[in-house]
Amino acid sequence: MAAASFMLRGVEVRFGGTQVLREVDLDVVAGERIALVGPSGAGKTTLLRVLNGVVQPTAGHGLMDGTDLSSLRPGELRAWRARVGFVPQDHALVPNLRVVQNVVSGRLGRRGFWSAARSLAFPTRSDLEAAHALLERVGIEEKLYARTDTLSGGQQQRVAIARALFQEPDALLADEPVASVDPARARDLIRLLTELAEERGLTLIASLHDLALAREFFPRVIGLRAGRKVVDGRPASLNEEDVRALYRLEPGHED
Amino acid sequence: MSVRSIGWNPVMKTDPRILRRPPPLGRRGLILLLIVAAAVFAWQGLGLSLGQLGAGNGGGWSLAGDFFGAALSPALHYEAELVPAGTTHFLLRVLESVRATVVFAAAGMSLALVLGLVLGCLASEAWWEGSGRIGTSLRWVLRALIVMMRSVHELLWAVVFLAAFGAAPATAVIAIALPFGGTLAKVFSEMIDEAPRRPSQALLALGATPAQRFLFSLLPSAAPDMASYAFYRFECAVRSAAVMGFFGIPTLGYFLKLSFENLHFREVWTYLYALIAVVLLLEGWSALLRRRFVA
Repeated sequence: MAAASFMLRGVEVRFGGTQVLREVDLDVVAGERIALVGPSGAGKTTLLRVLNGVVQPTAGHGLMDGTDLSSLRPGELRAWRARVGFVPQDHALVPNLRVVQNVVSGRLGRRGFWSAARSLAFPTRSDLEAAHALLERVGIEEKLYARTDTLSGGQQQRVAIARALFQEPDALLADEPVASVDPARARDLIRLLTELAEERGLTLIASLHDLALAREFFPRVIGLRAGRKVVDGRPASLNEEDVRALYRLEPGHED
Repeated sequence: MSVRSIGWNPVMKTDPRILRRPPPLGRRGLILLLIVAAAVFAWQGLGLSLGQLGAGNGGGWSLAGDFFGAALSPALHYEAELVPAGTTHFLLRVLESVRATVVFAAAGMSLALVLGLVLGCLASEAWWEGSGRIGTSLRWVLRALIVMMRSVHELLWAVVFLAAFGAAPATAVIAIALPFGGTLAKVFSEMIDEAPRRPSQALLALGATPAQRFLFSLLPSAAPDMASYAFYRFECAVRSAAVMGFFGIPTLGYFLKLSFENLHFREVWTYLYALIAVVLLLEGWSALLRRRFVA
């Protein structure tokens, strides 16, 4: 399994009249672990979605493993998305399916329609074993056959991580993975994510609110503010001035 | 540093404009008034009064009294003086009429479910997502077809098909299947479109095709509501199948009509109670299943 690399050049994203990303240049080497920080509304989610190939830049280029995403046909774009695991902030699991079904849905991008339909109703032995192993790794193996909506928020987050890993991705993008759990569990989850990325050699980019967690677990921190990349470097090089500038509230600009 | 009070401060006066209530009879009040006016208009227009009841049946209130009095003592045997030897026991006939009614309803519903599922998926917005103008126009053709199916009541379909095919069992089944299939399709497509989109977007992010996203996220999300609604429609199908007996199909209504024509009101009530019992049983069954869906 090869880790994925990313290169953004002058990426702009505009939704209607709102400019969400401005002139973002970014180089991510395969296997890097990066924390994405910045105030709410800075464009962190959109940046992750550009890397995932779900949002097309309005201007600029996104090169993934050297290929310009805008040059891909729909099928090729889906193949790229299948290589990137995405853990959404709100888990986005199907609530009334069993945990195992949500996990198995991770490999949809690599399966045809009928094989996917079969894996939903009758998962194969190897699917079940792989799903169980992943749930064991994220610490909720006893929930394999539980209905997903009976799980707590933190447990559902772990199911979403297991789904992304079942995908056998080359990169893992996590959007505010600890926004809805308490500080102790947040630390556990971030440790889990970074360990998983390390043991599987994945590129990991996680957006975070907690700067302390970013500093502790990630060798590189990128700061976004109002759609611009304003910080990029090792956590040690981040000084208090940078942090204050990143999160400062401007009158009338509290997006 | 002194503690600054936040929130409500008794010394500061709130701007009275903020507290001003919206007018009590706004838009909603107007709509409520219109509904009441429509009801009054309808009653007035028809000249409805309780005095009319009983005037049209020739027997006045005494016939009504007979009828409702019979409700307290439903028949357990035929009310006729002379029952030919070898006739099935009355209660067995009631049971048989209930069985036939449920079988007709089930046959009609099974066909309606297939129609409703296929057309419901195809008529949903989600199915045609991203398919451009051709998809949108195909969807409108389907929706028009669905409207045609359900705008004619099942009893009217039954009258039409009886004229065309005679009182064959298939007539009743198709008469139920068409409008019920249309209604299921309409409601199913709305339930699919109201299902949360976030899981479907997550599947987009991992490279799933539109069809896979439909199957793996929208359909399962909508499934419990769809099942619950299908149960309710089955209940409706039972009632419709019963009424179709009035047109000569051998369901509960057929026997009920015979008893009615002979003024055997106690028999009529037995049939009515049997119908109520079936609906209650169905209700209990669906409640049981709903609990399992939710748990």
